[in-house]
Amino acid sequence: MTFTVDERGGRRSAVVEARHHAKNARGDRPPRDSYALFLLPGALAFLVIVVVPFLMNTGVSFTEWQGVGSPKWTGLANYRELMDDAEFWASFRHSLFMVVAMAVVPTVLGLVLAAALFDFVGKHFGSRTAAVLRACFYLPQVLPIAVAGIVWSWILAPENGSLNELLKAVGLGSLQQDWLGDPDLALYSVMGVMVWVQLGFPLVIFMAGLQRVDPQLYEAAELDGAGWWRRFWHVTLPQIRPEIYVVLLWCTIAALKVFGAVYVLTKGGPGGATDVPSYFSFTTFFEKTQVGYGAAISTVLTVIVLLLAVVGLKLQTRAEDAEQGVVR
Amino acid sequence: MLTARRRVMAAAAAVVSTTLLLASCGDSDSGSSDGKTLKLWHYESPDSAMAVAWNAAIKEFEKTHPGVKVKFEEKGFEQIQKTAPMVLNSDDAPDLMEYNKGNATAGHLSQQGLLTDLSAEVTKHGWDKKLSAGVRTTSQYDAKGVMGSGKWFGIPNYAEYTMVFYNKDLFKKYGIAEPKTFTELTAAMDTFVDKGVTPLANAGAEYVAHQYLYQLALSKADRAWVDSYQLYKGKPDFHDAAWTYAAETFADWVKKGYISKKTTSAKAEDAGLSFMQGKSPILFSGSWWFGRFAAENKFDWGTFLWPDSNLTLGSGGNLWVVPKGAENKQLAYDFIDITMSKKIQNLLGNKGGVPVAADPAAITDPRSKGLIANFNTLSERDGLAFYPDWPAPGFYDVLVSETQKLITGSAKPDAYLDAVKAAYDKGVQAP
Repeated sequence: MTFTVDERGGRRSAVVEARHHAKNARGDRPPRDSYALFLLPGALAFLVIVVVPFLMNTGVSFTEWQGVGSPKWTGLANYRELMDDAEFWASFRHSLFMVVAMAVVPTVLGLVLAAALFDFVGKHFGSRTAAVLRACFYLPQVLPIAVAGIVWSWILAPENGSLNELLKAVGLGSLQQDWLGDPDLALYSVMGVMVWVQLGFPLVIFMAGLQRVDPQLYEAAELDGAGWWRRFWHVTLPQIRPEIYVVLLWCTIAALKVFGAVYVLTKGGPGGATDVPSYFSFTTFFEKTQVGYGAAISTVLTVIVLLLAVVGLKLQTRAEDAEQGVVR
Repeated sequence: MLTARRRVMAAAAAVVSTTLLLASCGDSDSGSSDGKTLKLWHYESPDSAMAVAWNAAIKEFEKTHPGVKVKFEEKGFEQIQKTAPMVLNSDDAPDLMEYNKGNATAGHLSQQGLLTDLSAEVTKHGWDKKLSAGVRTTSQYDAKGVMGSGKWFGIPNYAEYTMVFYNKDLFKKYGIAEPKTFTELTAAMDTFVDKGVTPLANAGAEYVAHQYLYQLALSKADRAWVDSYQLYKGKPDFHDAAWTYAAETFADWVKKGYISKKTTSAKAEDAGLSFMQGKSPILFSGSWWFGRFAAENKFDWGTFLWPDSNLTLGSGGNLWVVPKGAENKQLAYDFIDITMSKKIQNLLGNKGGVPVAADPAAITDPRSKGLIANFNTLSERDGLAFYPDWPAPGFYDVLVSETQKLITGSAKPDAYLDAVKAAYDKGVQAP
């Protein structure tokens, strides 16, 4: 393995730096087994809490079972049924909308807001103001989703809901809607709430990333006459690319698994308009007591999330390596 | 060094796993099988008539069983509904538990062998003689878990049924008399709509909406229709006159403004509040609201049975069931017997519940008298037609979802009935 370092990008990211250091240090580190011991408790917990239940779930997905009594082996029947289940595919389509709401939009908005807070608010109003605003954006991440969901269901209520009342108060009464009850609107309303919930996470990560960007890069760009947008595009974005990858991957996985918000806000309704795979799996398990079929849904969901995680991590590594000129 | 450390860890892991294994395979009788503790779960809200009665029963039980302690755990309806099979299959099962009645719930558990057959106790204590036929239906389940015949797996101590709750003050304000017929009811709703008032409180996201629809179907149905749908005695036709009338009338009511489209995502609580706050003059729902309305309504209100219909939604209340693995079954039977006593039944009746074995003369509250009188009318004409979501597991969600489509207009009545039929056919394959 050979690698060269291209310094044109200024300071390298902490992630790459750490990896580089680890590679160089290989010869000096203590024997592998001493690390393995530290990993053992975590590995055991992972095995008991994640791997074994997942394997059991996969096993159950090949059966017809009501949760009690004896499961009946049906092979791939549940998966075959899943392929033709319009409700299941509809729930996956909704998941893609949730990816937009929970990964794409918060990442883009988070980038712009982080840069604005760091560059503008931080410089003109002090870092304390920026920190307070950052905390405000992060607050929804701290709130339990059940609490946030109930409050939002009050805000979005068709009768006496704050949003509709506000619209009326400012003379926009004609824009009043049944935000969660109209099948054409409900998914977008849930998406809106999820943007609000999710925004704080990328914002905090990006602001942390911006801390380690060399200020000289901005100064140089400024001296060359680059405006805010050009500096954002040519300095900020390339410098915090590793954080962007992490945020996108993390948020996409969160979007595919989303459950709490749908459960509290709409219970998948109206008429299935906001159903998502995890909620669909939940109702199949507990309401319909079709445990085998529910297990098949959650197995498919897990496999998709795993695939996405692996592909995402590979892409991230490849991009970082390309950036640093590492050849594997 | 490392090898020695590893050996220690391996030994520790072996000890821990052996302990865990022994614990998990432990003697199932190691719980509270001491004849001194009754472990009891129920999920009635603390101020409901039932909870008041059960609390009184607990006191009575402790008085008549000196040295025995009742270990009561308050549970949520959803909590028990979702986890009952797993809990009852474990060593943590209580001695006595309140559980939802119907094929998909108590029937399902009985079929899986998780509930104790109470038939001998029923005869011994004469509980069967206290329960009317309609109430009794949900206590007995056959080998397939279908209610109406077979062994006794649960005892209900109260009953429930649906009725029209109406705001007398609002009716008076708009000069409308209490409707005695269905025509008068629709005429009253027309008047409200003309005055800009949406007459019916509704909740599309929960049971309220599909209960309106089922009631409309029941008004054109008979006992054989109910038996076919609920007890699988025959194959229900979802495009028959009753179902078609119900779906079309419901859709029509939305169009006419009797039901607001804005209630698509409303919860049952929203519908109740809308009535309690005097926004909606009419709510068709169950006797479970009665105690709360009596305590909190700030206006004059009354109730009447759905006009021109022999049948309405209703059944025996939730069941007391004794899990198969219960440690202290005898104490559980004794407790059930106390809840069936006149003292507890009369208390239940006076607190706004519908008792099954009360002394009519002991019910003093005038509104409660009316509530019980209406129930007796229903009982006499065998008018309890259960609930529309009972026939199949998961059917509740289907009905909610499909009825929402009917409210928003995204499904026509015909498509609604097709969807309900498909879910029903799929769901009843299991029993």
